[in-house]
Amino acid sequence: MRRHPTGKTLGRLLVGGYIVIYLIFVLFPILWLLLGSLKSRYESLLMPPRIIFEPTFLAYEKLLFGGLLHTFGNSITIALINVLLALVFGVPAAYALSRMRGSVRKNVSFWILSIRMAPAFGVVLPIFVFMRSLNLLDTITAVIIAHLTINLPLAIWLLLGYFDELPQDIEDAALIDGANHLQVLWRVLLPVSRPMLIAVALLVFVFSWNEFLFAFILTSSEAQTVPALIASLAGTMNFDWPLMSAISVSALLPAFLVVFFAQRHITEGLTLGAVR
Amino acid sequence: MAYHPSKRHPIRRLARFPIGFLLPAVLVLAAIVLFPTLYLLWLSVRHWIVFQPQQYFTGLGNFIALFRSSAFWESLRVTGSYLLLTSLLSFAFGLGLAISLSKAIFARGVVRALIILPLLVPPVVAGFAWKFLLNREIGLVGGYLFPALGITVSLLAHPTLALVSIVIADIWSKTSFMFLILLAALQSIPVELYEAARIDGAGARQEFLYITLPLLVPAIIIGLIFRAIDAINTFDLIFVMTQGGPGTATQTLSIFGWKTAFTYFDLGRGAAIAVVMMVLAVITTLFLTKRLQR
Amino acid sequence: MRKILIVLALALLAGAALAQQTDIRVIAFAQGFAWPDLFGSTGTEKTERLLAFEEQENINVTIEWGDETAVRQKVLTDLISGAGRYDVILLGSDGAVQTYGYSGFLEPLDGYLATGDLDQYITLSDLYPQFLTANTVDGNLYGLSYYSFGPGIIYRTDLFDRYGIEVPTTTDELSTALEQLKTGFEADGITDIYPLTMRGAPGEEPSLDLTGFVYAYAGYPAWFEGGVTTPEEIRSTRAKPIFTGDFRAGFESFVNLSREYGPPGIATHTWVDMMNLYSQGRAAVLLPSAINGYAAITSTENELVRDNSAFAPIVTGPSGKPIQSFWTFSLGVPASSKNKAEAVKVLALLTGNRSMQAFADQTQWPSVTIPSVMHSETLVNRWGSDEIDLNEAAIQASDPYYFPYIPELAEFMDKIGTAASKAITSGDVDSALNELQVWALERMTTAGYYR
Repeated sequence: MRRHPTGKTLGRLLVGGYIVIYLIFVLFPILWLLLGSLKSRYESLLMPPRIIFEPTFLAYEKLLFGGLLHTFGNSITIALINVLLALVFGVPAAYALSRMRGSVRKNVSFWILSIRMAPAFGVVLPIFVFMRSLNLLDTITAVIIAHLTINLPLAIWLLLGYFDELPQDIEDAALIDGANHLQVLWRVLLPVSRPMLIAVALLVFVFSWNEFLFAFILTSSEAQTVPALIASLAGTMNFDWPLMSAISVSALLPAFLVVFFAQRHITEGLTLGAVR
Repeated sequence: MAYHPSKRHPIRRLARFPIGFLLPAVLVLAAIVLFPTLYLLWLSVRHWIVFQPQQYFTGLGNFIALFRSSAFWESLRVTGSYLLLTSLLSFAFGLGLAISLSKAIFARGVVRALIILPLLVPPVVAGFAWKFLLNREIGLVGGYLFPALGITVSLLAHPTLALVSIVIADIWSKTSFMFLILLAALQSIPVELYEAARIDGAGARQEFLYITLPLLVPAIIIGLIFRAIDAINTFDLIFVMTQGGPGTATQTLSIFGWKTAFTYFDLGRGAAIAVVMMVLAVITTLFLTKRLQR
Repeated sequence: MRKILIVLALALLAGAALAQQTDIRVIAFAQGFAWPDLFGSTGTEKTERLLAFEEQENINVTIEWGDETAVRQKVLTDLISGAGRYDVILLGSDGAVQTYGYSGFLEPLDGYLATGDLDQYITLSDLYPQFLTANTVDGNLYGLSYYSFGPGIIYRTDLFDRYGIEVPTTTDELSTALEQLKTGFEADGITDIYPLTMRGAPGEEPSLDLTGFVYAYAGYPAWFEGGVTTPEEIRSTRAKPIFTGDFRAGFESFVNLSREYGPPGIATHTWVDMMNLYSQGRAAVLLPSAINGYAAITSTENELVRDNSAFAPIVTGPSGKPIQSFWTFSLGVPASSKNKAEAVKVLALLTGNRSMQAFADQTQWPSVTIPSVMHSETLVNRWGSDEIDLNEAAIQASDPYYFPYIPELAEFMDKIGTAASKAITSGDVDSALNELQVWALERMTTAGYYR
């Protein structure tokens, strides 16, 4: 059975066209941010924009030498530790839940999910009080803990859905062969779960990186994160859009590289046979 | 953990062991959220306006007051529309992208990485960027591109189109989330299944309908659940773009609740709104998970 | 070995000396823009001036930044949880001073300032009294102002000349002038310049301007019967809201001007948008918050705007009173601060002569609280003494109580601005005001004002 050759070409064209259009939609604002970061405050919002302009690196200079870089350090630290914790706690929990049945699984997993449903404005006050009682205000620990309430449910649910789909017979075979659950998880499940693990790690990183309210309320200047810095710059009568753009753009290049290398692990062709 | 490795009873282990895997995560989460949850619930049944000296138990008073205010129902309606539009559209676009980019195409890695980029733009910046782009007066898109196409209305100041505008920004910002989840799920479908189908003479359409889609359903539902929860709670993006306006046309429950608590200083009613939002999220999730338990 | 011990001892002593410094924590907005003379151009340093102050007063100042809305939330969280982390907090005269003042969260400043100990930083008699009035609640001074503004018109002289338009002095003349601009633009086929830029986004921002219109039309703060402005007066006279009464004329005028002469997106515009439009030469008139005009003129690279912008006194309404637009970036000391005396010192430093002068030198805006700074060389050279005099007159003609001072102010401001945004979009002033009236009556009743 061969597919109709013209149909295939048409399909490819449609797919290609769709991707190109979507890429334009995605990249247009980013390109605009990039150009904005190289302009003066006036010119950055000028319409129609000047295509040819004399770039200024003032915004980047401010970012590099104005004592703002520590916000990047804080954000990256908080996000990376969140990735680590979300996986360390989330993977075994998701595994356990996926091998459980009945009301316990249902109730526990739903309770975990419900944690993420809490609107930030509703719980920020109690979390503030809680962190204060633990003497954690102004520390990145406080933000890491608060972000876990967003990220752990995400990690557990994504992995739970994933583990559910993996056939259980290989696992059972391994167990009967004398492996314990930890070994099964480590040697059998994790290798085939690489695409989802990478996706979870990326998403946890992103949610932590972008989160504003907890990061702002629970910290002070020392532990300020990137979104908090951007917001506080937005609030000035200067409205330093080039600086805001520069900060966002600066985060994108390293992110692009990380995502580029990470996504290689989200590849097809993983066969269950391979892990046997 | 109460687990003692025993090679003699693998089947017993199978039944008992997972609790030890689950407990750390449950304990950690419980320790963090126990107090905030109770506090929120307690607050929602209190009359507590910051500048009024008297603070007292009011039972369902805050909820009743909410249900009697038209602002609440309007916010609920806006939240509902926003929730539906953003989740469904980001799902549709995300699925299309995931399927297109799961196959080997030109520069696939770069394209995938580029598509994920908007996720890393903080919502505050995404909001400002789209506000400036869609602006009727000095926006590259809203002021130049659209008028050239014959669309001359001010998007951000039109009650319906303002909602469309924040949905566009949300899709830009969050479709990558759906894309990543679906891509990961798609890549884990064993190739043997496709090989077997091909031997049986299945075409691309049949492959999609009878293999890909059914196996993607759990990931789709989980993706939708998180998109829905996040849509209900979206704040920064909307606040930056429209402040909930024009009028209250884009005032979602999260903006209404935030204003009630922190601008109106009515902590009790603010907490009640937060509780209602959680109930809304629970209902949406239950609706979706019903489809998960095939 | 002995050397090391000596060094260690010295280090310990220095540490002890540092430890004796009182920590004062400030929370404010406008990072990198406010107090560059103290915290540098990104808000993260300590300048010589700040270090000298710290040494002299034995105080260690830490500042924390955020955007305005988020800072308000953080301040509230801090106050109601009793954390007492902050010693100097952002207030603003459009809600926070009133709410926190009435509810006892703030420390009255009068006593600290009366001693004269702080004269090297700030002397109250040096300030325009309006800025003190604005921060006085129930007879207590709760805040001191950093940059602040009164009303005014910023307009394009070239466009006014081109169409032979006189600078308006009344609301009627303003309508006429805007109509002339509109017909002029239409005749010349100019579609990308709007006669007027104001702000009409939902929320408290436009309310500062809009209630100024109400004041000019009604001749008094027409929120409650009898124009009463304090909780006691509302209680004792059982004054009901009059949003469908005397409030209406000014509200309608604001809405109509926005609809007729403003940019199409005005119903979601904030100060950023009004400033941008003017600075890009896309609007002929900016009012009534002149500060946004000055922000535009000093940042524009458009030569037409830079060379052809002027300030005019704000127009008067049918009542003979001028439109109001008055706000102060005020800071106060929470009652929960553990070191109030030191906190007031820092507050005096932040709002005093030298800080105000540094603000003027940096921004060139005549949006200052102190006459000597207003008439300083920087500002006079930049704008000419006539324009400075007009700005001063605008502040002196301001009535800070052009809206009531009630603890519910922030909520009212938000609802009023939202009603305006709605009316601008729909054109239906009546239903917007009816809704406002119903809400306000219920709000005041449940708050127990008419018991």
